[in-house]
Amino acid sequence: MRRVPWAPLALVAALLVPAAGSRFYTFVANDVVIWALFATSLNLLVGYSGLVSFGHAAYFGIGAYTTGLLMKKAALPFLLAFPAAGVLAGAFALLFGVFCVRLTRIYFAMLTLAFAQFLYTVAYKWRDLTGGSDGIACVPKTALFWGGPSLATPRAFYFVVAVSLIGVNVRRYELAAFVLAGAFAGLAGGLFGIFNRGVFPDFAYWTKSSEVLIMTLLGGMGTFYGPTVGALALILLNQQITSYTEYWPFVLGSILVALLFGFPGGLAGAAIVLWARARGRLRSA
Amino acid sequence: MYRRTLLVLVIALAVVVPLAADAQKPIKVGMPIPLSGPPALFGDPASKGAMMFVEETNAKGGVLGRKLELLVRDSKADANEAVRQARELILKDNVDFLVGTLTSAEGPAVSVVAKESKIVFIAPIPKTDQLTAPDKLHPYIFRTAANTTIEGRSAAEIVAKWPVTRVATMSFDYAYGQDVTRAFVEHLKKIKPSVQIVDQQWPKLGEQDYNPFINAQMAKKPEAIFSSIWGGFFVTYSKQAKALGVFDTVKYNFIGVGEAATPETTKSMGADYPVGIWGNSYDAFYWGETAAHRDYTARLSKYLKDEYPSSWAIQGYTGMQFLVEAIKKANSTDSDKVAKALLGLTIETPIGPQTIREKDHQANRGQLYGKTAMDPKYPFPIMKPVTYVDPTKFMD
Amino acid sequence: MPDPSFVFAQSISGLTAAMFLFLIASGLSLIFGVLRVLNFAHGTFYMLGAYAAYQLVQWLGVGPGRFWLAALGAAAAVAALGGLIERVLFRHLYGKEELYQLLFTYALVLVLSDSAKMVWGTQQKSVSRPPELTGSFSVFGATIPSYNLLILLLGPAIALAFWFVLQRTRVGRFIRAAALDRETLGALGVNVSALYTWVFVLASFLGGLGGALISPMRATTPGMDTEVIVEAFVVVVIGGLGSFWGTFLGALIYGQVLSFGILLFPRFSIFAVFALMAAVLIVRPWGLLGRPLR
Repeated sequence: MRRVPWAPLALVAALLVPAAGSRFYTFVANDVVIWALFATSLNLLVGYSGLVSFGHAAYFGIGAYTTGLLMKKAALPFLLAFPAAGVLAGAFALLFGVFCVRLTRIYFAMLTLAFAQFLYTVAYKWRDLTGGSDGIACVPKTALFWGGPSLATPRAFYFVVAVSLIGVNVRRYELAAFVLAGAFAGLAGGLFGIFNRGVFPDFAYWTKSSEVLIMTLLGGMGTFYGPTVGALALILLNQQITSYTEYWPFVLGSILVALLFGFPGGLAGAAIVLWARARGRLRSA
Repeated sequence: MYRRTLLVLVIALAVVVPLAADAQKPIKVGMPIPLSGPPALFGDPASKGAMMFVEETNAKGGVLGRKLELLVRDSKADANEAVRQARELILKDNVDFLVGTLTSAEGPAVSVVAKESKIVFIAPIPKTDQLTAPDKLHPYIFRTAANTTIEGRSAAEIVAKWPVTRVATMSFDYAYGQDVTRAFVEHLKKIKPSVQIVDQQWPKLGEQDYNPFINAQMAKKPEAIFSSIWGGFFVTYSKQAKALGVFDTVKYNFIGVGEAATPETTKSMGADYPVGIWGNSYDAFYWGETAAHRDYTARLSKYLKDEYPSSWAIQGYTGMQFLVEAIKKANSTDSDKVAKALLGLTIETPIGPQTIREKDHQANRGQLYGKTAMDPKYPFPIMKPVTYVDPTKFMD
Repeated sequence: MPDPSFVFAQSISGLTAAMFLFLIASGLSLIFGVLRVLNFAHGTFYMLGAYAAYQLVQWLGVGPGRFWLAALGAAAAVAALGGLIERVLFRHLYGKEELYQLLFTYALVLVLSDSAKMVWGTQQKSVSRPPELTGSFSVFGATIPSYNLLILLLGPAIALAFWFVLQRTRVGRFIRAAALDRETLGALGVNVSALYTWVFVLASFLGGLGGALISPMRATTPGMDTEVIVEAFVVVVIGGLGSFWGTFLGALIYGQVLSFGILLFPRFSIFAVFALMAAVLIVRPWGLLGRPLR
């Protein structure tokens, strides 16, 4: 069977969203794509190296604060502030990774969680730099370059975000996976800070780490498109369900339990199984 | 000829019918507010107060002949979630206005969305001065809550009358705690220069064990204590402080802002409450100063099916009331017109007249203050006497 | 030079906090030692223990001994819930990756805490101190509430009981063996499945008891679960995951560092704890008294 050219197809589909959708769906698409980038970065680590980080939000937070502070306080353009998020998050991942990666998987999860909680506390307490619990509101949506084209419309911004996601087609970096995962999470954080127009300590809290793990799991771990599917599914679900009930955590928890028991391969895993079955039936027919 | 007339009629209908339908469409108000986690304690009743106002207004025929529709969403006390909910409410549910948010992170974060979308946003609970600070103020943000300046200064006005000079403070180490404490200390030193601040403790937000902080504070021998530990955390703090004899030592020269004397808190603690301290609250069902307040309390009691209804409902109620009065005054649901109508608007609320100041979009919202005492009528302490501290003269 | 009575009072409050944290963290550490999973839901069991104690106090009314009955009842109820969850759900995940087990306990946090909100609402609940322990002692000029003294004594008592069970009983030997090598244990003919259930029951009991016993000193509110789990986590990481005496030591250190930290760096004592944790992790990632796992 010929290979389906998924990557270009996905790119085209993603770029069509703003053209087809309303302003609202462009926002949703932004949200999905940023979280997909975040989840994909985690998947780089978990899916390909087998190391489960329970503190991945730390790098998301570092990236968000880096971009937010550089753009707001230093008034740097996006093109400088955005890569800085990846570089700094990657640097922190390297620093923590030195201590974490040499450990067995269990301690690895614990340690990543411990480091993330540490960073969360720094963000919370260092009010002069981070704004404390108030966070940094009004992160500007500035130009790509000084005086260059503006990123102010959600549509233009979306293109930047979507292109960043498609860029993460990295496989099997083994030891470097932790640093790369951190760097990409940082980029996702940098984008999210701008998209959200604010950066808050919650970005680095352990429940954010678990949210992104759930997305990765929901979509299917170790498959490249899994996390993207997971991000899409979870965000759309959140949106639908919170319109009807305030008991979203209950629903999310139940979904998670069902997933763990019923579809450990996530949505992508389930799709693969169904696809294989359908093909098997076709062949036997 | 006949055909042409018909065509004109059809076209006219096609134009007029949607217009008429539009007039019948409800006015939608979005409310992102925490319904989970510790702040749900305030968010939940505030949303119900808003809902009661909406139902009452609709029963009387609505506003400008249209019904009101309130869409409440759980913001989880998380600024990201509040922003996401606000955007969804604006872009998907097409709400005309936003009323809501609670924490000092949520308020300013949603304010940015309101500014972008050019939609009026009324904040009924966030207290941070940052929300309406000159660099953050924009035409669409309004606050009907007290702010940290008002709250800190109100407490200072009361403490200044006590026969004490050695004062200590106990507040959470985050924006609200720091700001309200600073406002208190600065104002107190100004109106009573003989006062000495002997100790300041800063437990982290949500601290569960206050013993080390209390020991350290009492070692400095304060004569009075100012606390801004709020909600359920005040219950935790005061239980531990009482066991260590703090209130007896300072002879009940203790003032708890952050709504330490709400009926909800005193009710949940009953006789364990450190009866005799001073505290504040946005509302108290037993206040009954005016006929309007007594009537409001009776309606609320029925609505919430609670003999001693929540003191937080008033914040949702007055937030919505301001919005609706502004819509009436503007005779429009256009946010630009409503925003203009809100400037300097004075309305009659159940707790008396309230005005949104033109210069900083801040309502002159004071709070009820009083010394707590047991009352034979209730199985829990109340503020007796209870006084509304009008902040108008010390807001600047 | 600070006043000696103040130093004494400060160390006592640190000790009280430590004993209380030990109560919570020991259950977390126990499950980790045997099942190798960090049970995020442990904090939620603690919260349910507090709510259950509140509910039982409401039903039983105030009177001598009533509170203790309620606390034990609450702990037993939480233990039963823990056992049930292990039997019906959790055991099916043993063969799978650790990640699934970790996420399952997180799913429990979401479902159970939302359920508690449905039952008890968003308003805080408060339990009074038992009438026989409302007083306080004065020792060396420091005030020590009787109730704190109880927690202070209860901590070591539970530690000793625990130690006795682990060292002197059959079940204890199995638990220790399981912490070392799970596979061999099954091969030796031990009913591993029942053992795991009992470990879960015991750990949930400790969590529930912690919540019930602390309820007279704290408010019971939504969100108290995610707060306590982080503290308990720090304690076990410092002491050594799965190590019993390590947890005890970790709790002692945590309590004292917090107590005296606020004197040295008033606003940043929480960093003293984290700095300690980071130092431990760098030098001995498996904790002060833990053993490196394969």
